[in-house]
Amino acid sequence: MNKKYIFFGVGIAVVLLLIFTIPKYFTGNVTASGTSISGDIEKIEIIHFHATNQCYSCKTVGNYAEETINTYFSNELKSGKLVFGHINVDLPENYELVKKYGATGASLRIGVYNKNGEFSKEENVNVWYKISNKEDYMNYLKGVIESKLSGE
Amino acid sequence: MSLMSFMETMSTSSFPLIAAFFIGLMTALSPCPLATNITAIAYISKKIKNGKKTLLTGFVYTLGRMFTYVLLASLIVYVGINVQAISLFLQKYGERILGPLLILLGLIMLNIIKLPSLKSGERINKIKEKLSEKGYLGSFLLGVLFALAFCPFSAVLFFGMLIPLALKYSDAFLIPSIFSFATGLPVIIFAFILTFSVSKLGKVMNKIQTFEKYMRYIISIIFLVVGIYYTLRIWF
Repeated sequence: MNKKYIFFGVGIAVVLLLIFTIPKYFTGNVTASGTSISGDIEKIEIIHFHATNQCYSCKTVGNYAEETINTYFSNELKSGKLVFGHINVDLPENYELVKKYGATGASLRIGVYNKNGEFSKEENVNVWYKISNKEDYMNYLKGVIESKLSGE
Repeated sequence: MSLMSFMETMSTSSFPLIAAFFIGLMTALSPCPLATNITAIAYISKKIKNGKKTLLTGFVYTLGRMFTYVLLASLIVYVGINVQAISLFLQKYGERILGPLLILLGLIMLNIIKLPSLKSGERINKIKEKLSEKGYLGSFLLGVLFALAFCPFSAVLFFGMLIPLALKYSDAFLIPSIFSFATGLPVIIFAFILTFSVSKLGKVMNKIQTFEKYMRYIISIIFLVVGIYYTLRIWF
């Protein structure tokens, strides 16, 4: 009998919780996350964060990003408008950069500086879904970088 | 449309609950949760004799995973603990402990390492018996523990995709719960198949009972193999 009451109680609690939580997914009343800046772009940083022990996917995400930038953005790299780096989150000397970008582990993050001295950062998670198709990955990242460079 | 681009589209769906489910499914397919889920499947197969129990054990294991994910999300969303700190900490230490722990569990199950018996051994043995007989507590704890083992890719999915979603909707319950259910789905599906096939197999039950004797060894070896995999991956 006791068990029945427990299941019943848990069931009711779950149903009530659903009734109160689900509506907010339909109202679209949510706070925006992330920051974005506009205006003339001073510099773009693309950083592949990784740990000392790298998984296969982590290496691929970084290597493909490097190849994309070397292939399509060599001029921007030379002029310093675009910066790329592999950063080990475990090394103490990288602490400030890891903190600045809020890196939570292996990730590809893009930082944008505009001419007003403002800075915005974001993590790109889509690249992880594209590592099985190099061409797809490179085309996608090329598009992302182009739009960032044009200040979108 | 390839499977990966389908998963990508669904995981970034504008409807958060669908996104949470597919992020969870992707997590279930990523290396570390896949390895831990295989271990869990081996563990719940112990209950092969009793179909209903197998199914429940699978669910309880998923509940264990849910407990960890909801707790982590709550700490971040409601308490305001730094996502970066918790993520880096779990990736650094969670994985390092898991490998040796699984090896230890495997060795205990094989009786190679014997748990020290204290003076009040009888009482402890009784508790031990009760726990292993029920099995639910074990699979719940297994779920709690396994969910803590973040690999780089599963960390991207949880801390890079699911947590931002939970923060955006200030929901540390439903979004992580749906995600957890999806991460445990392979185990639940397997438990279903097992339950269904065992009930159909009535006549060969005796054979299954003989097989059960070997099951313990098989499970222990799976624990050892998964444990060695983790240990080698992280420590060497």
